Parts: sequence; structure tokens; C-alpha cells
Amino acid sequence: MALRLVLEILRIKKAAVSIGVIIFIVLLGFLGPLFYKVDPTEAVGLPERPPSKKYPLGTNTFGQDILARVLHGIRTSLYIGTLAGLIALAIGTVVGAVAGYKGGFTDEGLTLVTKVLYMFPSILLMILIAAYVKYRDPTLVALIIGVTAWPDLALCVRSQILSLKEREFVYLSKMAGYSSIRVIIEDLIPNMLSYIFMYFVLLLAGAMLAEAGLSMIGVGITKGVSLGIVLYWAQAMDAVRRGLWWWFIPPGAILVAVASALLALSTALDEYFSPRLRGE
Amino acid sequence: MRKRGINPFIIFISRKIGFSLATYFIFLTIIFLVPRVIPGNPLATLLAKLYRQAQANPELIRESYRRLMEEFGVGRPLWEQYVDFVCRTFRGDLGTSISSYPCKVAEIIAMNLPWSLGLLIPALLISWTIGNLMGAWAAYRRQTAVDNVLLTVFIVLSQSPYYWLAMLLLYLFAVRMTLFPVGGTYSVGLIPTFSLRFIADYLQHLALPLFSIVLGALGGWAIGMRVLMIYEIESDYIVFSRTLGLPDKKLLSYAFRSSILPQVTGLATSFGTILGGSLITELVFNYQGMGMVLFRALLSLDYPLIQGIYVILALTFVLATMIVDFVYALIDPRIRTGYVGG
Repeated sequence: MALRLVLEILRIKKAAVSIGVIIFIVLLGFLGPLFYKVDPTEAVGLPERPPSKKYPLGTNTFGQDILARVLHGIRTSLYIGTLAGLIALAIGTVVGAVAGYKGGFTDEGLTLVTKVLYMFPSILLMILIAAYVKYRDPTLVALIIGVTAWPDLALCVRSQILSLKEREFVYLSKMAGYSSIRVIIEDLIPNMLSYIFMYFVLLLAGAMLAEAGLSMIGVGITKGVSLGIVLYWAQAMDAVRRGLWWWFIPPGAILVAVASALLALSTALDEYFSPRLRGE
Repeated sequence: MRKRGINPFIIFISRKIGFSLATYFIFLTIIFLVPRVIPGNPLATLLAKLYRQAQANPELIRESYRRLMEEFGVGRPLWEQYVDFVCRTFRGDLGTSISSYPCKVAEIIAMNLPWSLGLLIPALLISWTIGNLMGAWAAYRRQTAVDNVLLTVFIVLSQSPYYWLAMLLLYLFAVRMTLFPVGGTYSVGLIPTFSLRFIADYLQHLALPLFSIVLGALGGWAIGMRVLMIYEIESDYIVFSRTLGLPDKKLLSYAFRSSILPQVTGLATSFGTILGGSLITELVFNYQGMGMVLFRALLSLDYPLIQGIYVILALTFVLATMIVDFVYALIDPRIRTGYVGG
């Protein structure tokens, strides 16, 4: 059943291409460092060399190998994106589901909090929180992004639950005396899985971009290399004005490629699940 | 038909204003709480650092230490600090900067905010207009090659950080082709006035930052508009009007008019995201705005300045939302003519 669904989705050209791009970049991040064994933090060559046989993407001001930094950066960025996406997914689904299902006072309270947080621009909230934390490892940055990125999802889950909970099978479960949690987990969530998955894909892309934004403004990870950190140093060392294109183009291009592929995948899934958009 | 009683337009607006004011209060509370609830209190670290420096030298640091203690109300109960913070904020007293002591935070912000708005507001409006038009066009040509190409472009643009587009544009048009200045807000030596010469110079510096934000933001608008328009074009009243033989142009203008309403609301919800992105874009161009100030404040752990920047950014944001609500009420016929539910 699940396999058939995957095969059917893969038959959509847009989805297949996006999944291809995503898999390629994930492989770059996880297998790349195993094959290209250059330390991303060591000075391994002359500073600011353009791409050559020895350094496929050149070196930066500190003589570090940019290809090595980008490969390790992909890994860190994917880690932050996935973890942050999962955190936001968990909070958003739970808050939205509880608010929608319970209704009444619980709903009012949770929805108010969610709406206010939704109004506060999440990137600004992330910067504010990160500014007051001294040491930020990837896990912590993922946590910061995750706890600020969920309100949108919570509002959507809530409205889905509101329409789902009026269906017969939910009434039957209620009549059988099942607890709210059991109804939410057994009846409601499974009906929204495709929707939640689509959302996770978007959250993942958003979190990877957010990591880069945090790094650019100077409150990214303080240890390790991410795509955002590579861009940050390119900016700090004025790479653009000095024409060091090999320093800032590759990390940004990979970020844009993976984020675009994720968005395209989510759009393709959206069209697959709601045929009206396909124009049929 | 107009119902009796208070004009629904007034009700709508006053409810929105009330909500905005409440939101601003909650924002202030968040801005107040975040530094104070995060464990490891960096403020204490900063104070300790200042104190150590004070032993080595001048009264200046001792003075800034004293002020910081006072303004952040160290050692006093949380609620007292909070009341004090809110009162100061409404008096317009945002405290004193540490990194550029003894400059007032409010002065620093007043010097930089206009430049940020001068970049953000035109960029927002231009990207919104172009994005919506292109999205509507893609929807009209859906299932064709035009739509496929456009949608791909929209997707890639909407996922490109403005600052990275900014780097590309700067490299291409200022470094390689030298068509535009490589950064700054206006040429060194010029004094900001409303003279023609200054405005021309400013626009030249503004062009690339503006273009990168427009480019990065229009994708999102276009994607939203495209979906809205497709739903609208498929809706019963359009299909019916088509069977009546109304020309395509007429049908499209109907569909466009009802699709544009959610996009106006979108202006309010996206304002913050675009604001955040444009702050980072300023860094790439050394553009003298709030982004540069925030960056330097974060770098030097200038907490009063960071707090002040947030108080003002939140205010900008709430005001923008209010303006959008007002415009929405003006253009939505349901609110304008007093249609109340149904």
C-alpha cells in the first residue's frame, strides 16, 4: 500500500526530479566527507586560491578547503533542519490537535498563544533567543528554530481537526468511551498523515534557510561548520567585493537547490492529494 | 443593504486596533522575558566583564556598568523590572547603548530606521505587485509550458535567501560590470538632503538591495496568487459566466479581484519575514539601516541596544499590520458596505 503510493508519486515528474535532487544532496552531505577526507577547519593550502585540481572549490582567506567545508556544512545544515523540523512538527501537531479536539477554553487559550506567536516574525524571535545563549551547538540551534517555527502548523492542524472530528468514525470512537488522546492518535492523526508529511517537508526547508539566516546575522552555531557559517565568513571577509565567487556561490546554490526541491516536492504532493489544482 | 446600528467598518477597524495593541503588549512581554528566563544569564557575564575592565580603568566603564544595572534593574523583583520596562518604553526611553556609550539607544535607532524603511517598503510593494500579476498570468496559462517554467522560477526564487541573491547581484552588477556602487547608503562626502543630486545618488545605492529583495520576495507572492487564481477560475460562478459567453478578460478580472483580497492580508503576515530578510540583506551592501545596527549589537553583546531594536521593530511590525487591516477594510466590499456574515 505504502509502496504503491510511493511508486505512484514517483511517476509525477516534478516529484521525481525533486526527490532526485534531495537524495543527491543528502548523499553529498553524508558520503562526501567519507570520500573527500580533507579537514574543513585546518589550513590546508594557500589562502584564497581559485578552484583547481587540488582544491576543487578553491580555498578561503584562512587557507581552508571550501569543498570540504561545504560537504561538512551540508551535513550540519541537514541535521539542524531535520531536528528543528521534527521539533516544530511535534509541537505544532500536539498543540493544534489538542486545541481543535478539546474545544472550549483549552482551544481559546492555545489558539490565542499560537496566534500571537504566529504574528511575531519567527526569524526575529530566533535571533532574539539565540542572542542570549552564549554557546550554540547545532542541536541547540535546531531547538531554537524548532520552538519558534510551529505556530503556522498548529493553526492548520487545528482547522483540519475541526472538520475531521465531526465525522462518523470519530463519533463511534467517542461512544465507545475512548479517551481524547486515543481518539486523536488512532482516528484523527492517521487521517492527516499526508498533510503532516507535506508540512514537515516545508518545515525542513524553512529550518535550513533559518539556520543560514541566523549565521549571517552572527548568532549561528559557535562550533562546527554549516552552510550558513560558510556564507557568514564569506560575507565577513568581503568575498563578494574581492571577487572570490567560489566562496559564496556553492554554499548558497546548494541551500537554494535543496530548499527549492523540498518546496517543489510539497507542491507536487499537494497536487497529487487535491486533484483540483491539477486542473482535472 | 446597510444594517442599522454602528457602521460595521468602524467595528472592524476598532476590533483590529484593539487586537494590535494587545499584540504589541505581548510582544513587549516576550522581548522583556527572553533575556531574563534563558539560563546562564549572559547579562551577568557581561556585567562581570565590565566589572573586571572597570578595575583596570576609567570611570567611563564604571558609569556604564552602573547604568546597565539600573536600566536592567538587576537585583529587583521581576514584576518591578517589567513595570519599569513598559513605562520607560512608552516614554520613549530605550536605555543607553554599551558599545557606543553614552549614545542613547533611541538616537541610534532614529538615525538608522528611516533607511531601513526606505528599502523595505518600496521592495515590499514592488514585489507584491509584480508577484501577484505574474502569479495570475501563470494561473491563466496553467497546464502550459509557460506555467511550468514560471512555477519553477517562482519556487526557486521563493527559496532563495535575499542576502544570497544580494551577493550574486552585487558580484555581477557591481564587481564584474561596475554598473552600480559596491555598497553603502550614499556616496562618501554627501550630506543627506532632499536635493536632486542626493536623491539620484541614493537611488543608485538603493537599486541593488531593492532588486534583491524584490526578486526574493516575488516568488512567494506569485505562488500564492497562482493557487488562489486556479481555485477561483475553477469556481462555479466563473464556469457559469463562461458558458454565458463572457470574454476571458472580464472573467480574469473577476477572478483577480477576489483573489487579491487574501493577498492583502498576506502583506501583514509576510511583513515580518520580509523585514527579517531585508535586515540581513543590508549587511551584504553595508547599507546603513537597522540590520547593520542589529548585527553590531549582537556582535558586541550590546543588550540594551538589542532590546531597543526589538521594541522598535515590533512597533513597526504592529503598525504595518494595522495599516494593512485598514486598507483591507477599505477595499473589501463586504466590510465597506456593511455585509455582516451570512
